[in-house]
Formats: sequence, C-alpha cells, structure tokens
Amino acid sequence: MTSLAEKRQGTGELVTENTATMVETEATMVLSGISKYYSGVAALQDVSFDVRPGEVHALLGENGAGKSTLMNVASGTTRPDTGSITVAGEVLETLTPSLATTLGIAIVHQHPAVLEDLTVAENIRLAVPAEFLAGQGSRREAMQAMLDDVGSTAHLEDRVGGLSVAQKHLLELAKALVMKPKVLILDEPTAPLGQASVDLLFERVRAAAAAGTAIVYITHRLAEIRVIAQRVTVLRDGKYRGTSDVQDVTDDELLSWIVGRQLESTFPPKHVSVETTGTYLSVSGLSGKGFSDISVSAQTGEIVGVAGVVGNGQSDLMGALAGLSRFDGSIEIHGEEHTGRDLRARAAYMPADRHREGLMMTLSVRENAAVGSLKRFTRGLFVSTREEVGSIGHELTELDVKAPNMDANVASLSGGNQQKVVMARALLSEPTIVVADEPTQGVDVGARAEIYRILREIAEAGTPVVVNSSDAKELEGLCDRVIVMSRGRVVQELAGDEVTEQRIVSAAVSATAHTEQRTAQRQARSSRVRRFLQGDYSPVLILAIVMVALGAYVFSQNDRYFTAFNITSIQGLVAALGFIALGQTIALMTGGIDLSVGPLAGFLVVVASFFIGNESPMGQILFGFILMLIAAVITGAINGFLIRFGKFTPVAATLAVYIALQGLSFVLRDGPEGIINSSVTGIIKAKVGPFPVVFIILVAFTFALEFALRYTRWGITLRAVGSNEEAARRVGVRVNRTVMLAYISVSLCVFIGGILLMGQIGIGDPSQGANFTLTSITAVVLGGTSLLGGRGTFIGTLLGAGLIIQVLNATTFLGLEQAWVYFFQGALIVVAALVYSQVRRQRATV
Amino acid sequence: MAEATTSKVAERASFWDRVPRGMITVTVAVVGLFALSAILAPSSVTKGPLLGMLPFASVLAIAALGQTLVVQQGGIDLSVPGAISLTVVVATHEAAGDDSRLLYAGLVALVAVLIAGSINGFVIGRLGLNPIIATLGMNALLYGVVLWLSGGIPRQTTDLLAKITAGLTFGIPNAVFFAVAATAIVAVAVKRTVSGRRFEAVGANPVAAWAAGLRVRRHRTGAYVWAMVLYWLAGMLLAGILNKPTAYQGDSYLLPSVAAVVLGGTSLLGGRGFPVATALAALFLSQLDSFVLALGVSFAARTLVEAFALAIGVALYTVDWKAIRERLFGARRAVPAGSSP
Repeated sequence: MTSLAEKRQGTGELVTENTATMVETEATMVLSGISKYYSGVAALQDVSFDVRPGEVHALLGENGAGKSTLMNVASGTTRPDTGSITVAGEVLETLTPSLATTLGIAIVHQHPAVLEDLTVAENIRLAVPAEFLAGQGSRREAMQAMLDDVGSTAHLEDRVGGLSVAQKHLLELAKALVMKPKVLILDEPTAPLGQASVDLLFERVRAAAAAGTAIVYITHRLAEIRVIAQRVTVLRDGKYRGTSDVQDVTDDELLSWIVGRQLESTFPPKHVSVETTGTYLSVSGLSGKGFSDISVSAQTGEIVGVAGVVGNGQSDLMGALAGLSRFDGSIEIHGEEHTGRDLRARAAYMPADRHREGLMMTLSVRENAAVGSLKRFTRGLFVSTREEVGSIGHELTELDVKAPNMDANVASLSGGNQQKVVMARALLSEPTIVVADEPTQGVDVGARAEIYRILREIAEAGTPVVVNSSDAKELEGLCDRVIVMSRGRVVQELAGDEVTEQRIVSAAVSATAHTEQRTAQRQARSSRVRRFLQGDYSPVLILAIVMVALGAYVFSQNDRYFTAFNITSIQGLVAALGFIALGQTIALMTGGIDLSVGPLAGFLVVVASFFIGNESPMGQILFGFILMLIAAVITGAINGFLIRFGKFTPVAATLAVYIALQGLSFVLRDGPEGIINSSVTGIIKAKVGPFPVVFIILVAFTFALEFALRYTRWGITLRAVGSNEEAARRVGVRVNRTVMLAYISVSLCVFIGGILLMGQIGIGDPSQGANFTLTSITAVVLGGTSLLGGRGTFIGTLLGAGLIIQVLNATTFLGLEQAWVYFFQGALIVVAALVYSQVRRQRATV
Repeated sequence: MAEATTSKVAERASFWDRVPRGMITVTVAVVGLFALSAILAPSSVTKGPLLGMLPFASVLAIAALGQTLVVQQGGIDLSVPGAISLTVVVATHEAAGDDSRLLYAGLVALVAVLIAGSINGFVIGRLGLNPIIATLGMNALLYGVVLWLSGGIPRQTTDLLAKITAGLTFGIPNAVFFAVAATAIVAVAVKRTVSGRRFEAVGANPVAAWAAGLRVRRHRTGAYVWAMVLYWLAGMLLAGILNKPTAYQGDSYLLPSVAAVVLGGTSLLGGRGFPVATALAALFLSQLDSFVLALGVSFAARTLVEAFALAIGVALYTVDWKAIRERLFGARRAVPAGSSP
C-alpha cells in the first residue's frame, strides 16, 4: 500500500511539474480495452473511455448497455477480464475499492449506500475520513457546510431512514464532494430529484468541474447532456459506439448510436386485428404511489408493453395491476371492474425480482408451481398427489422447463427455468390478467423465445397480458401497444407499426419532466420535538416517568419504601442484571441476540467457586478472576464464530452455547458448593452511604458505553452493521470483525455481571444464572433497543433493568402475591414494545 | 449443465431422494443411539427405563411439533413453558382429584391457552411485534395465571387422567399413541391439505406468498394458535404422567423443544417443516437423557451432549459442506465455464 501511495504522490508531482497545457489535455482517468464476461456472456467488450480534469463526460446507453459495469470497473468494485486502467498517468494492475478511494475516485450510486438507523452526522462520520472534516471551524460546522453546499435541508441529527429519497441522494453527493475527488462518477443523479434540486445539483457539478474534478455523468436523458456535459460516450450491448463533443452531435445521431441492437431471440407473430374483437383490458385514470393518471386500453389479443427509463414508476404500475398496492382509478377486464383485492387473488404476477417476490427458494419446483392452484387438486379433504403431479408435470413439460425432476429445489434451476416455473404457476392458477415485470431479465436466449411464445399464446387465448421491460427492442418485438412512462406519467402511447425501438427510446430519453415538487414544501427542517420522539432517547424519558410514578405510588402506600436499606438492596440487585443487560444490548444492536448470557454468568460463578474460596491464597484468587475472564472471552468468540463463519442464526448459535454452558456448570458442581471468599464478597458489597459501589460503577460504565456508542468508531460501526450489513460493507466497515468483537464485548459485560452475581449468591451454584437471559432481554426491550438492530441506548437498558427490579421490589411492599410479579413483567414487555413501535412509526417522509 | 440432457420434469424424484435430509440424519442418529445404548449401557434399553422414558419423549415430541409450526413461520415460541404449566395446573387444580371434573378442567385449560395463542398471533401477525418479545411477555403472563391459580402448590393428579395418559396398552405407554397420532395429524395437515401447503409457502417466502395472493397474516397468526393446541395436549399428558406436577413443570420443555425442531431439520428462518423428523428428534433427546443416566454420568454430561448434538445438527444444514470439501481437496471438481460434463 505504501508503495502505491508513494507512486501516487510521485505522479502528482509529475503532473504539476509538467506544463499547464499538458494538464489541460491529459486525462485523469483512462480505461482502455476493457472486457468483462459473466459466465461466458459479455457485459463489456473492448470498451475504452477517458475523462479529463474539469470536464463533464456523459455516459449514455440503454439499460443493460454496460454503463454501470464500466463504472464499477472504474471504482474498483468489478475486476475486468482484460484491459487497463490508468489514473493520473499511472497504469494500475489491480484496482480495489479502497485503492480507488485513496486515488480520489468517488462514486455516487443510483441506490444510496446510507445507513437508515444512523443520523446524518453519523453517516458522514462513518464514510468520510476525519481529515476531510478538519479545517476551520468544528467538525459539526464542517458537516453542516457539506450539507448546505449540496442544498440539503436535512438536519445533522435527523435519522437517515426518515429522509426522502432525494435527500438521501444529496447526502451521498455531499459525502463524495467533500473528499474533493479527482474523478467523480454520478450514476443517474437526477432520477429522484425535483427541478429545483436538479438545478442546484448542476450548479454543484459545474463548480466541482471548475475546480478540476473529472466528472463522469451517467444518464438516460438527452436533454440533460445538453445542459451539463461537454463530451458524450455511448455504449450499446456492452460495446463502445462512439464519443463526441456534445455540440458536434445531434439528438438523432445519438439516438442512432443508442438503438439498433441485434436480438438473437425470435418473436412470435404479432396479433392480427380482427374487426369483431372488443376491448379486453381498459385502464383509466390509474394513480398510485409512483405513478399517476395512467390510461390505456387494449383490444382482445393485444399485448400491452410498458416502457421507459428504469425507475419511472413502471414497476409501481405493475404492482398496482397485480393488486399488490393501492390505486385510484379503474381497471376493467372484459368489461368487468376489478378491485385491488380481486386482482391480488386472481392476477398472475411475474415479478422482476424473482428471488424475493416470485419464488419460495427453499421449496421444490413442484411446490412452487402448485401453490396458486392447490384447490383444483383436492379430492375430499386432501390434495391428491396424483392430480397434482399429473397437472404440474403436464404444464412444466408444455413450458419445456429443464429440471432433473419436479422435486428438485427451485434454487438449483437456471434463471430462465425459474421464470418458467413462475409462469407455470401463473398459468395453472387460471388468471384474469397476466402482469409480467421484466419477464426475461436474467433469462438465457433460448428460454426468452419460449417465454415470448407463451405470453403471446396467453393473450391470444383472451387473457390480457401486460409486460414491463427496460429493453425497448424486446417491447418492439413482443407488444402490440406500448405506453412510455417518465416520472410516473405516460409520455407517449404507441400502437401497431409505431411500436419500434427507435420511437420508444426516443420518447423515453427525450422526456424532460422532473419529479413533482410536491415533496419540496415538506422539506422544512424537522422540529426538535419530532427529532426527540423519533430519536433513541424517548423510551428513556417514558421509562423515567413510569419509574418515578411507580415509586411515588408505592411510597404513598408504604412509607418504609424509601429507607436506606431498601435503596441499597434494590441497587445491588440492579447492578448484576444491569451489566448483563448492557451486554445483551450490544448483541441486539448488531441485529442478533445472545441467549447464552444467563448460563455464562452462572458458569463464571461456578468457576470462581473453585479458586476464590475462604482459604485461597492471593495468587489463586487472582488466577480465578483471570480464568473467569478467559472463559468469558472464549464464549463470546465461539458465539461470534458460529454466527459469522458457521452461518448459524444467532438464536441457534447462542442456544447451543446456552445448553453447553449449563452442562459445564453441572459438570463442575453437582449442587451448591464452594463458598466464595468473604472478603471478596465484602469488597463487592461495599457501599458509599446507601449506594453500593458496584451500582455507582454500573452507572458510570453505562454512560461510558453510551458515549462510545455515539462517538467512537466502535459504536458507529456496531450500529451500522445492525442497521444494514450490505450498506455498511460498502462504506468500508469490516462486518465479520465487528460482529465477533460485539459478541466478545457481550461476554465481557457478563463477566462483570458474573462477579457481582458471585457477591450476591456467595457460593458455586450450578442452577443459578440461567434466568438472567430472559430478564436481560426484557430489560433491553424496555429500554427501547430495537430487536432489528441498529438502534438503541445503554441508558435505556439501565433504566429497564431498574424498572424490572423496582417492580419486583414493589410487589413485596404492596403486599401483592407472587403472581403479580409475572403479570407486571409480561405486561411491561409487550406494552413497551407496542408503544415504542408506535412512536417510531410516526417517522415522517421529510 | 447436466439439466439440459436429463430433464424429466414431469416425473417425481425417486423415493429415496424425496426423503428429507433431516429425516435421514435423525433416523440414523436414533438408530445409532439405541445401538450404542444396547452396547454401552444395556440397562437403558431394558423394559423399565424404556417405559419410563417414552411418556416424556411423547410430551416433548408434541410440544416440539407446536414449536415446529411457529418456527416454520420464521418465529420462535418462548411461551411453551407457560402454556404447558398452565395446562398442568388447571388440569390438576380445577379437577382437584375429581374424575368427573376432568373434562371440564381440560376444556378450561384449552380455552385459556387458545386465548393466549390468539393474542400471540394477533400481536405478531397483525401488529408486527417481534416473536421473541411477544412470546416472552406471554410466557410471563401465563405464569402469572399459573401462580394466581395454584399459589405455587402442587396437587395430586386425577386418577382418570393418570390412567388415560400413563397407562399401558399392548404394553406400550398410552402417551406414545397420543404422540404418534399428533405427529401423523400434523404431518398430514401440513403436507396434504391446501391450507398446509399454503402455510409452508408463506413461511418460505412471505413476500412471494403475498404476491401470489395468499393470506399471509392469517397463516402467521394460525401458527401460534395451532401450536397452543399442541402445547395443551402436551400439558394434559404431563399432568397425568406425573403424580404431583409442580407449577413450573413446563420450564424443562422450552429449550429441548427448540432443539428438537432444529435437529429435525426445520430452518429457524422458516419454510418447510418436518414433523416426523421433529418427533424422532424428541425421541433421540429423551433417549440420550436416559442413556447418559444409565452410564452413571451426571445431568451435566447429558446437557453437554445435547449442546453438541444441537450444534452439529445445525451445522449439518447451514454450513456449505460442498464448498468446504472443494476447498480442502483442491480444484478437483472445478469444471471450466461453459463446458458441460
């Protein structure tokens, strides 16, 4: 690494030593002869591209033309099979994401790599090295300046999950710009933005270019190229089509570069219009989330295509047609109006994301194909295997699905065959309409032709077929009628001979409309009250109020409640539970759970009982403590290892460790034996006034952890991993290490808790401790930490532990039966979880 | 790819290929364990210990079947102990040793746990609460009722219940028949009915199931309710098998029920369930107990063995053994891209 950094510096000096005119022309980054193959299929073939300092170079092409792959090569995420990358005159043998960052290559992805549970400030701190935030003023001022610079109205303490998509993009842009990159890659940056934000964005891009940054601007929109770019390069089908200065090329010329791809697969003949056929699908005034006022009607037998640049509401429209999301307006099929509820039950939906929405990946081909039509196979009470196997086998053969047999796992099939399984399910369910979202994505050429044929047959048989595709050539070949969408609206409807790739692409890329500004008015800065409510500390306030109220009530019933003795005993009990619950909080923060905390605490006491006896010499006592520490660390490491490297779910991993630890305790001791050294327990029970020393330590420790959680890299990465593992990885967090460390930290907290427990019970009892597992989870949940990971506080956990002990204690002072202890505990955890989830749901789409 | 030449998609896999991996693993484990018992601790496979072990294995099997249903929906049910304990306490305290009140007591217990199951299902399926939190809370509430009813004092079971559950028919403990019947019913319901098949699909991928038009929330809620019926049955059996069941009788069934589910091959992430394998896993765990006991080793060693069995059981299903084999034994199996064997 050092040698590369030196090289970079060397070349940097080289450039400055050269004449200024050289800098003018020499490209900052040159990609030449880049090829990339994915299992034999070319994603890029001999593509060359360069970008100079101070210029905006647009990269244009259809979906799947290879733009994103090329930019992934440029930013080090994808390794090319052939070709070379030259940055600032230096030829690089390999480019990794971290090397790209050091070289000053920044990329703003189409889908922002932000962590939703973290605040804006924390997202910035995680992704931006500290040196870029240094300078005049405090760090916060620097961060605020970053946001102001891109025109973001987000507050630094806003949780990113509550921001609008546009604000998230601006945050990504700010993160990239602040590092003063040499090369800045923007992947369709204007897609989610309104007009005002687009203007601001262009202004920033120009400013960055003026400062000497080389900018690659990926887009689908010809109009934008004219406004912002100096040069334009076009890719088609992974091949280089040409580069030109923007002023030297007309829109028509660019279009001819973009379109004209050869398709290997063949299409079935189109629908021949017969006069007597009526309308079988009529959509009018359809509006919903992501699209508005869509109207289209199709003659019986026509396949309707939905076109446009990806992300302009097409998929949302498809979801509505399949009854999966709410809509206004009407959908009539064969003259009959259908509600969303009907459609969800009776439409056949072929989703674009097959793995997430289409298939049950752990089930077999047969089970997947049959799930929509089981009722047809029933004989009496049961599903008849013979009927099912017969029908399914017939359908799968018809569709020519290639699989070893129908009981094969659907995950083992190729993409094309998986899609055919989805189609088999659709056909078997005898649908009223077929809604196919990107039906040939990830499907091999042979299977494509089959899929086209099947869709055509369905339409000819009188069931409306709607196809969304980002491939205009495909729509040209398949559809009889195409609506082109931009920003959620239909910008053009094409029918019959008009359905050509040229017309479709032209309509899609010429659209200039921007997202409506409706969102802009709500972009006022969030109020302090709302930030608090959505923040992590609202549960702390709620808990504090409940505890004070409970305390006051019990005191009004029994005035011995506030005696020094009672305060001491409550705090002593809180201490042991508190430390263990703090540990549990760490596990939950990563999105996991640690069931082994209770038995570990008990086990540590049992271990201690062999070494820390009344007769034991000093050295042996010390050894005992060290042994406890080692046992705790090993336990944490095993938990972390099983979860990260054994791919166990956290519940399974820590459950196995739970049982093992309990077993080990009983191996060491049959029953309560081995009195703990009384001077050691004496030290543990020491007091300052009515306050046990350990309780004071607990409070101090809690605040220290809280501080670490908010302000150290340990804390921020911990929450980042819990919030979104993938996004965390993309901003450079080492996920495995973070989780391993987290589970070891849990065990270390339990180690301290174990010492306190040792002071409380004073003997090696193998049956003690296990209860702490569930109690600690209760405490953490009461404290408002989310079981989904990423959000929570240690202070809340401390109060949660306090409340549990307080309730236990209160029942004795109020003279209640033991049953009430359980009633209170059960009600507390459920009510707390419900209340907190409601409070959090108030998050607005600011 | 081999699939291009050997597509027999209209046919089913051979019978042996259709037997789930969990089933094979557990069967081998059970047979192996009994063989080992016969060799190392012959006393553990004599009539007395077997008759002592089987009723408890039956209770565990039934409780684990309930847990299986919940796990199939990607959940976990921590209210098993509360539900079993409540059933036990109601069956003994409400009946109060009077045979004629047994039916009434049983029904009261059933209604009580069904209410609990419905609440679990509602807050998890409808309100979207985390299953761990909801069932943890429910468990505490159920124990509240248990203590409120019993005051923590054990009571003698009714003779009738003892006769029904602990008696022998053809020399086999009656509880075994209950367990076998429950396993058969659950297996048929899940694998052979429309609802059961949809239930598995929802568990395997709720998003896809929703898109396919299935009623996701109803199936999710249903899992917690049906599970309660099984816990109730387990509790009733336990109330009869034990002479004087305590108020905390259900406690020892939480972890083993989860362990049996996992050993049976049902993924904690949800999806397909294996009721028969789960029941066999329960038998395995119970025999393991009595085997280790006969060896003269303490309770300790037996939990250790359980932990190992669980860890190995999970690892069998989660770890990508093929990848590890390939890494260990070099690139022998690596086939150049594009060529088909």
